[in-house]
Amino acid sequence: MRDTSRPLPFARAAGGVFDLTLDGLVWSRRTFWMAALLGLPVVFGVLYRMVLASRLPPQLQPFDLYGTIVVFYYLRNLVPLAALFYASALVADEVEAKTLTYLLTRPVTRGAILVGKFAAYLVTVLCVTLPAVVLTFFIVLTGGGSHSVSAAVPDLFRDLAVLAAGLLVYGALFTLLGVALRRPILPGLLFLFVWELLANLPGYLPRLTVTAYLRSLVTHRPAEEGIGELFGQVLPASLCLEMLAGMTVVFLGAAIWIFSTREYVFDQ
Amino acid sequence: MSEAAIEFRRASRWYGQVIALNDVTTTISPGVTGLLGPNGAGKSTLLKLAAGQLAPSQGEVTILGQAAWGSPEIFHRVGLCPEPDAFWDGLTGRQFLLALLRLTGYDEAERRARADQALALVDLEDAAGRKVGGYSKGMRQRLKLAQALAHEPEVLLLDEPLSGMDPVSRRRVMDLVKKLGREGKTVVVSSHILHEIESMTRRVLLIHNGRILAAGDSRELRDLMDEHPHTVSLRARDPRALARSVVSSPHVLSLAFGSEGEWVTVQTARPDEFYSALPEAAIEAGVLEMYSPDEDLESVFKYLVAR
Repeated sequence: MRDTSRPLPFARAAGGVFDLTLDGLVWSRRTFWMAALLGLPVVFGVLYRMVLASRLPPQLQPFDLYGTIVVFYYLRNLVPLAALFYASALVADEVEAKTLTYLLTRPVTRGAILVGKFAAYLVTVLCVTLPAVVLTFFIVLTGGGSHSVSAAVPDLFRDLAVLAAGLLVYGALFTLLGVALRRPILPGLLFLFVWELLANLPGYLPRLTVTAYLRSLVTHRPAEEGIGELFGQVLPASLCLEMLAGMTVVFLGAAIWIFSTREYVFDQ
Repeated sequence: MSEAAIEFRRASRWYGQVIALNDVTTTISPGVTGLLGPNGAGKSTLLKLAAGQLAPSQGEVTILGQAAWGSPEIFHRVGLCPEPDAFWDGLTGRQFLLALLRLTGYDEAERRARADQALALVDLEDAAGRKVGGYSKGMRQRLKLAQALAHEPEVLLLDEPLSGMDPVSRRRVMDLVKKLGREGKTVVVSSHILHEIESMTRRVLLIHNGRILAAGDSRELRDLMDEHPHTVSLRARDPRALARSVVSSPHVLSLAFGSEGEWVTVQTARPDEFYSALPEAAIEAGVLEMYSPDEDLESVFKYLVAR
């Protein structure tokens, strides 16, 4: 028997929104292009194994190359960009398509709607990102023999966890931007490519960024990481985990609060 | 007197400097209520306030005894058919209904049964397996209606539900709305066409410039329209003969010749008597065409506002 005196239980409502959103996200054009971008290192890895490995200087070890791809390509650029383009659109796409009304006229709380959508985002980007990293790892490192691969596997798991944390915290941040701002992409890009540069400065400024915490969790730090390395800005792992968890909770909580109190009808 | 399902108490809503709804106090009881007004009158704002999609800037709006804004639980008992032609186009009609019924709290078996029932109500069974993106405008309208009906709500808010429908579908939807009203449900249906509203109900709320101008029987509106000086334009082979014939009538207030010479525009205070006397004049002057711009609801509203 349905209890019509209160909204649907949170998990049940979020589950319904999750399934509905996941279906739309997985088969979207956005996912196609994002998968293509995230898969580029796989293509590069194949190219490296077939052509470049024999021509590059011997100092450039496969593991260094893999580390550079993880830190610069995925962690610094593609993961935040994927989060920006997916998470900021979770509500904006519904507003633009004028379909948000259907969700807002169901007996479900707005918090459940947003959490369901966020979960769908996270599953989609994890499913697109992590396999690409795993493939890149094996393609690049198997050139150095099976011994080097097995020795580096713990680093792979750590990288996957850090990338997942990046998708989580950046996703929460850009979900917040998406519900708070009408046009979140430009502020998001400014945050990623201007504000996040603070991570390379000395003192306490890196602690005001997201990337400093994520980068500090990656153990195989390429020497070419930038001037941040000169200042030794590697933050303690426990602090990084606490800060990343705290930021996720704060960003997502603020996003739920704004989404729950804002009128969207006239944006539609 | 039945209990009010929807209540507006001194409710206003504005956007910046623009007042969309101005100090509205009214109640809506079970049965069908037509919300009638020209485009931009505030009909959609009123419905969105009732459906909790907007918060009143001032005053209160309650539905089924609860504040409309910020009470998602009311949607167990309320259905909204929104005006925009918007869907998740990648879903089939049935998937669309199943997804929304899931968010209304039904288990899988009941979702399927209700979706099939709603699709049958709007005559979409044959198209249920097709993607909504391939539906015609009329089919999409009917699917919107189906999602509002599928959970059998006590209150149905229908924003221009007949827009874009073919005549057969319109008839069917009108009959359905009347049936729901007879069953004791509260149905609010908006339109800017009096004839459409009259086909579903006599109970109307007249809205113009964000204010409720009148609430009552649509026949009273018809009477007001009949008291309202009518403008009638006539095209005749001999417009001067027509003018001579009608100008002697005591009910003709003014007469003017159109710029193209064939048209005569007459304003009359007693349209019924004017129309009764017209055939004789029409034969003499050879009237070819006639229309009354006053049938336009906007002009009636202007008249009512000016009274």
